[in-house]
Amino acid sequence: MRKLGLAFALVAGVAVSGCVQSRQYADVQFTPPQGDYRLLIMRPDVVVNSLTTGGMSEPRADWTEQARGNIIKSLGNEQSGRGGKVLVLARRNELPNVSAEEIADLERLHYAVGNSIALHKYSGASLPTKHGKGLEYTLGEDAVSLGRRTGYDYALFLYAQDNIASSGRTALQVLGVAGCIIGFCAPSGGSNQFAYASLVDLRTGEVVWFNVLQTGSQLPGVKFGDIRTQPGADQMVERLLGRMKAGKEVRKAAEKR
Amino acid sequence: MRTAKLLLVAATLPLAACGTVGEGSDFGVYQLIRTKPTNVGNGSLTVVPPRPWNKQRRFLFFDSVRWVEDWTLNGPYLDGITFVSGLPSGQYLIRQRKSDERQVPKFRSDMTAPEVTAMLETAFRVRGGAIEFKTLNLQPRQFLGQPGFQFDFEHLDGDELWRKGRAVGAVVDGRLYLMLYDAARSHYYANALPDFEVMANNARIRA
Amino acid sequence: MCTRCSRLNRRSLLVGGGALAASMTTGIAQARVRPADMVPLIGPGFRPTDTDEKGLWQQMDRVEEEVSGSNLLIKDPELVAYLQNIIGTVGGPAARDMRIYLAHIPDFNAVMFPTGFAVVFSGLLLRMRNEAQLAGVIAHESGHFLRRHMIRSWRDTKRKSDLFAIGAMAAGVVGAGAGVYMGDYVQLAQLGTILSLFAYSRAMEAEADAMGARLIAESGYPPIEMANVWEQLIGEEEASARYRRKRRRRGTLFDTHPSPTSRMQDLRITASEVTVPGRAYDNGRSRYLSKIAPVRQMLLDDQVKLNDPGASQYLLNTLALDGWNGLLRYYEGEVWRLRNRAGDDTRAAQSYAVAVAYPDAPPEAWRWHGLSLIKEGRAPEGKAALGRYLQMEPGAPDAPFIRQMVG
Repeated sequence: MRKLGLAFALVAGVAVSGCVQSRQYADVQFTPPQGDYRLLIMRPDVVVNSLTTGGMSEPRADWTEQARGNIIKSLGNEQSGRGGKVLVLARRNELPNVSAEEIADLERLHYAVGNSIALHKYSGASLPTKHGKGLEYTLGEDAVSLGRRTGYDYALFLYAQDNIASSGRTALQVLGVAGCIIGFCAPSGGSNQFAYASLVDLRTGEVVWFNVLQTGSQLPGVKFGDIRTQPGADQMVERLLGRMKAGKEVRKAAEKR
Repeated sequence: MRTAKLLLVAATLPLAACGTVGEGSDFGVYQLIRTKPTNVGNGSLTVVPPRPWNKQRRFLFFDSVRWVEDWTLNGPYLDGITFVSGLPSGQYLIRQRKSDERQVPKFRSDMTAPEVTAMLETAFRVRGGAIEFKTLNLQPRQFLGQPGFQFDFEHLDGDELWRKGRAVGAVVDGRLYLMLYDAARSHYYANALPDFEVMANNARIRA
Repeated sequence: MCTRCSRLNRRSLLVGGGALAASMTTGIAQARVRPADMVPLIGPGFRPTDTDEKGLWQQMDRVEEEVSGSNLLIKDPELVAYLQNIIGTVGGPAARDMRIYLAHIPDFNAVMFPTGFAVVFSGLLLRMRNEAQLAGVIAHESGHFLRRHMIRSWRDTKRKSDLFAIGAMAAGVVGAGAGVYMGDYVQLAQLGTILSLFAYSRAMEAEADAMGARLIAESGYPPIEMANVWEQLIGEEEASARYRRKRRRRGTLFDTHPSPTSRMQDLRITASEVTVPGRAYDNGRSRYLSKIAPVRQMLLDDQVKLNDPGASQYLLNTLALDGWNGLLRYYEGEVWRLRNRAGDDTRAAQSYAVAVAYPDAPPEAWRWHGLSLIKEGRAPEGKAALGRYLQMEPGAPDAPFIRQMVG
């Protein structure tokens, strides 16, 4: 279960502390999209779960729908703040001139590419030929063909998961942390978030920017930007996309000036 | 304004140290292969890559086979070349337990090309996660200066991605020498095929 | 190939407890459930009202969306219509709401999701001897659906893990981690691992057995065929294990799945209870064989190329109970050739020689027959056989190589 394993590995890494971490990689020549650009947001994947006392993740339809709506709105606002035109793809067959099968194939290729980026950039299995080169991954000609036929300049793949501790679990956390005082620590993971975003330039097919966001807290009752609320969703999107930095060479050039 | 407020809140919380995310931690799984004559497998085969590649570290104790070595350009989910350097008769391409239900067949020195390629197909189905496997072509081809074969194929794997591959091989003195290229059919196969062809043509057995 | 990409490995499929095949693991017998007690708890047009069930359904809807768009499906319209027809017959009162998908995966498995769609794996089609057996498997899965086992087991698991966590805390053990995520781009081949959430208890499996037998009997299929399915599966597992010189695992107290042997025995009793004396039952064998015929070679290919000689041999011998033919003898040869133990090349050669004597021998049989003859030193006959292969399939992908061998 590759994707699950990835989420697990990254979230588990966070579980022993409370922190926000995010690390982005970009093509060295990357400039964040500005001006009048057209962005296609591929089927965003958002889920909000309630973390039960026993640590099971229970998907909540109502919370998820709420969060999904917020994230889509945040995405729209965040991007319009930059001046672009955005379409959020909800189903595979929504684009004229492009079959559902083609979208499916692109999603599957991105799955392999996204996992490769996560594996080789984030999980300690780096590829020496890619050292110091920012991001060197592409979706190839199929992505370019998509861009040409639909007129979109960029495609964004986004995945977000929010696990919110139920009150039962928060209570457990209190007990666990309290136990630390008497020398008997039994922390149990609290609310956490895991998200990644991947920006593909449809004029070249390349993944020009990738970011992973993880937040989590051992401290009882601490919730990072609850994405069931608009501000919380805005915060997650902002953390994920808002601090999009330009690539190494562009930044160096800017510094020189 | 809102952003500043959130940052402030984040700063005041007693956050424990975060573990590092990103290239900081590296377990040395891959090594750089430079563009010079390189010995592969158990060292009995030499190739000259046209550009730098990445070699996957072998855990000879665990699951690697002495005569087999894997390289990649973009990572094993996207592309890879497997070198088999003089696999002796009676050996397997991969490590497996005798008690495994599904077995990759062993190599035998009297195998004809169709039998070698059938062994590869079963390896893909049993170990590589292939749900469908299609032979595209099997034709004679010189390899290492000996009469050998070229095998072209496609397969659909459990992650629903179609991959495409080419194997070039020959049985020399009863041992199997093989180069197997496998990559995502969309973009990645065509991307590194020229590298594979260059190496298949400059591969040599070391005396 | 990516031999270390373990998550691409299909073996993860059978880990799931919610899928039929997982209930093959042995355990202590459960008291038999009487079919007369099995009434459907779901009627047509059912929709959940509880919050947690709604959440689960929403996830399952996304899963179905992914499943229906998967390129691991066999989309042959006639075959799918045939399966749809069967589920419509034995699906109970909600049958009209059910959907069925056929996955190109060579394992024996059938999976039912709480929202009323089922996935049948192609390996199942290879192992069923008649329509009644296929209907029995589908009806068993429908039983889980109609008795609302998924949401019940989901809630059970949740309750149990809650208790565990509190107990564990008291014992000073670190509590459970972040929990399991369901959803996202669920991919068909990963189904088994996801469905470990729906681990059915022994009682639930017994209920599904009873409900299934009742459903198929009511539709005119002989209910004893459900017991026969278990008999065949046990036989296959034993053959596979015997080949590997392992013993089929015996039941342990802590296993939650009933032993297949006792389930088979219970189903025999159940079958007698629901059989109406004097009523004519039809197992639909000839109809089944003709519907499966177009994909039979592909199913055999998928199975044999996995090189599990014990299981493959057992399956071939079972299919041959209806009579040997060129196709089956050819695959018999393939099993030997891939097994490749001492003397297997001779056995394979013999099977190929027998296969080509039948009119329905596939072209590949001629190729392997030819190669075997050449290896035996009978080059002229071998080349003639290869020539026959090229005649039958001039556009075969390996024709260039074979042509060179013929000279």
